[in-house]
Amino acid sequence: MTHLITTILMQSSSDPALAAGEGPTPKTFWLPEGASTFAETNDWVFNFINYINYFFFFLVVGLMFYFVWKYRQKGREVYARGPSHNTVLELGWTIIPTIIVVVIFFIGFRGFVSMKTVPANAYQIDVTALRYGWVFKYPNGATSDDLYVPAGKPVKLVMRSEDVLHSLYIRDFRVKQDVVPGRYTTMWFQADHPTGKTESGEDAFHHLFCTEFCGVGHSNMNRKVYVLNETDFSEWVVEQGRWLDKIPEAELYSKAGPKLFARCVGCHTLDGKAGTGPSWGNYDGSGNIWERTSAANSAHKVDGKSISELIGPGKKYENPESYLRASILNPNDHIVEGYGPAMPTFRGQLNDKAIDALIGMMRHLDEFDAKGNFVGKK
Amino acid sequence: MTTLDTRPIHDEVPGNYLTFRRGLLSWLLTLDHKRIGVMYLIAVLGSFFVGGVMALLVRTKLLWPGEVSWMTADQYNKAFTLHGAIMVFLVIIPSIPGALGNFVLPIMLGAKDVAFPRLNLFSFYLWILGAACAVYSLLAGGFDTGWTFYTPYSSQFGAGGTIPVLVGVFILGFSSIFTGVNFIVTIHKLRPPGMTWFRMPLFLWALYATAVIQVLATPVLGITVAMLVIERAFNIGIFDPAMGGDPVLFQHFFWFYSHPAVYIMILPGMGIISEIIAVHSHRHIFGFRFIAFSSIAIAIFSFLVWGHHMFTSGQSPLMNVLFSAITFSVAIPSAVKVFNWLATLYKGSISLNTAMWYGLSFIFLFTIGGLTGIPLAVLSTDIHLHDTYFVVAHFHYVMMGSALIAMIGGMHHWWPKMFGVMFNETWGKIACALVFIGFNMTFFTQFMLGSQGMPRRYYLYQPEFQIYHHISTGGSYIMGLGFLITAIYLIHSLFAGKKAPANPWGGASLEWQCTSPPPHDNFSTTPRVGDCYDFSAVSWDEKQQGYVVDTEAHVAAAQHGKGH
Repeated sequence: MTHLITTILMQSSSDPALAAGEGPTPKTFWLPEGASTFAETNDWVFNFINYINYFFFFLVVGLMFYFVWKYRQKGREVYARGPSHNTVLELGWTIIPTIIVVVIFFIGFRGFVSMKTVPANAYQIDVTALRYGWVFKYPNGATSDDLYVPAGKPVKLVMRSEDVLHSLYIRDFRVKQDVVPGRYTTMWFQADHPTGKTESGEDAFHHLFCTEFCGVGHSNMNRKVYVLNETDFSEWVVEQGRWLDKIPEAELYSKAGPKLFARCVGCHTLDGKAGTGPSWGNYDGSGNIWERTSAANSAHKVDGKSISELIGPGKKYENPESYLRASILNPNDHIVEGYGPAMPTFRGQLNDKAIDALIGMMRHLDEFDAKGNFVGKK
Repeated sequence: MTTLDTRPIHDEVPGNYLTFRRGLLSWLLTLDHKRIGVMYLIAVLGSFFVGGVMALLVRTKLLWPGEVSWMTADQYNKAFTLHGAIMVFLVIIPSIPGALGNFVLPIMLGAKDVAFPRLNLFSFYLWILGAACAVYSLLAGGFDTGWTFYTPYSSQFGAGGTIPVLVGVFILGFSSIFTGVNFIVTIHKLRPPGMTWFRMPLFLWALYATAVIQVLATPVLGITVAMLVIERAFNIGIFDPAMGGDPVLFQHFFWFYSHPAVYIMILPGMGIISEIIAVHSHRHIFGFRFIAFSSIAIAIFSFLVWGHHMFTSGQSPLMNVLFSAITFSVAIPSAVKVFNWLATLYKGSISLNTAMWYGLSFIFLFTIGGLTGIPLAVLSTDIHLHDTYFVVAHFHYVMMGSALIAMIGGMHHWWPKMFGVMFNETWGKIACALVFIGFNMTFFTQFMLGSQGMPRRYYLYQPEFQIYHHISTGGSYIMGLGFLITAIYLIHSLFAGKKAPANPWGGASLEWQCTSPPPHDNFSTTPRVGDCYDFSAVSWDEKQQGYVVDTEAHVAAAQHGKGH
């Protein structure tokens, strides 16, 4: 029986034919632009509840002001002989709200069932959340920091967290799901309209927010969602899978470095200011990250001793490159003095070429500005 | 050994509880429920000031969408965490039971004190100890987890003061439990002859329902924070998945307490409103039994709905559906109360005193707070609204616009009784109006911020939200001004206020039948009890400039079943 009801409800609410409108629903007084198939049904529920709420609010407050004015005290008269109870009335205002909320519950339940029923043909994107960024991984192995999705096709996100709780929220799609370390959570949506360009010719996008408090960079953990039509999307995803390969070896650090550094910038600065992790710049007078790992008598301290005890011929790391590579893949093996074991591993997320690019950027840090843009030799 | 005082209670009693003994020690070691109530009041209002300053700092930062030089993201996180933790654990939860409940409950029962006066004082000192832990945590680096302490952030990251504040919360929990135990026993054992359960003031029904939740739910909070301390201090995996724990388990534990705690905060407020509305309307409360039983219903249902805080947490969809359905069961008794208060106004003789202004503000704000809970309880709309400013606005309408406004209303209602002085009514109404306007400016805009998709706990935000934040911050300043004026005229009244009559508003419950302020022993003989909502025997006395209750007629009316 329950199954039957669920099936009927699902069919009526996740019918793809419903989705075909002329464009995203525009921003209103209460709600932002609605750009997914959920937006239409969920906004209807929100507005429906709002109208019920307006009615009861004006009923209660209207009666309150009316009674206060009508029955205001005259002189010092005290004893007012109003009725002290009326069972019919009291049962009435118990039962009628009960019926209303039961109806509201079922309407919300109906929308929820379709949000939790992922269509079998959904396009899967794997999501990793980490303080303070997102990695979106597509079926061909391509990754991106912003989310790109095909239009008119159900998209399923399978999400996990590297560290603490996060929550992925795309407000224009009306979807939100916590991302929990130690388990996978999923959500799905379908956006029918490509984001296209804004009037000024820039790429338009939807906001993606982190909505579960995750630390100092919590409000920085927002990214962009681009909806591309199917052809554009399949081209983009193929390009994206190859972008590193297409960059010549010599330009790897200058072209790929800044792009990859976007994953590091949540915790590491380039201007010497301490973040969640140590700056890549000259932060305590011991040189930038390359200088302090490669200098013979570096003042830089790791695990309570000088870094030069770790690096060098015959030591744990033959050369600074090996140390830096290990710090990206096994970040908590060695902890820089003054910091905690806060960095997640990037194993499986950055391939050798990407690590080459980042180490190259560290070696040529003076060719970048404080925001990580390549500016060339000074 | 005190001798039995046989003078009739309406006569001028030379001493009162304030002058009964003198000196600081006579306060610090007092077992008098009234003095303990006053000490709670001072402590809670002091904490309210600190929490309020934190709120204004947060609101001021939010005038700008970007970084500001005077407050880093880390400081911002610590400020909103401190604001939340202070307001919940040090202000709202102890405010009404600890301050007003302690003062009024035994007098309403015609008793000399609560059942366990020493335990009562011990509760207060546990509060002090808990507050001291919170202060220590600030010295140890502060805490930035949000008042919810979600794992694994709180166990693996979180600033250095996290463990001290958790210990503080643990201790404050016991303060709350002991107050609850005390009130339950007092209400069961110390009611005077003739005061049946259905002759008991609704404020006491509310405090009773609250006490039941305090005793049953608070131990879970204690256990939860203890486990979190163990995980953080000794790396024993309970909630951290890296050590085999489950972070969602923490949320279940936390909300198993913290949802009932919402009713620990609001139920006493509802009790105060029942008193204020009835007394200032001079009219029998409408539907006594419905209001009384709705308090009990809320207390019971409050234990069954915690999962509605977790619709996006990753708990199973089936549980989401069940919790959503059960959540609506709490809406009904709340709605019943509002309708009953409205019906109490009908055919009343309503005097618009400052306390009544707060009472009416409560109905207005609680209606908004309650109704906006509906889209949050509905599964499909909550997905959009969860963890946005919509939630922030909703719970401020309930926690502040309702619970705290009721507390301040109750403070005005019982101020003449507590200190024997009248405050300036004109300034009272001006301040109430400022608080009401400021409050709505601050938080109604936050509903829009939230439904437009602004997440909570954000240091930086999109420039499109700035206009809402400007209105909101402006409102918070107006509210702050309102509270400042309140503090000034209340303190002024202590030194220069007109002497208060025993019964300035025309109440019929027992606390209006002893002098203002009450004598040390409240009543020299066990008072006789009528129907506390029967105002037929209350009349204005020009000589006393207050109302008097004709006890004979009042009790007789109750015995003959009149006044209903």
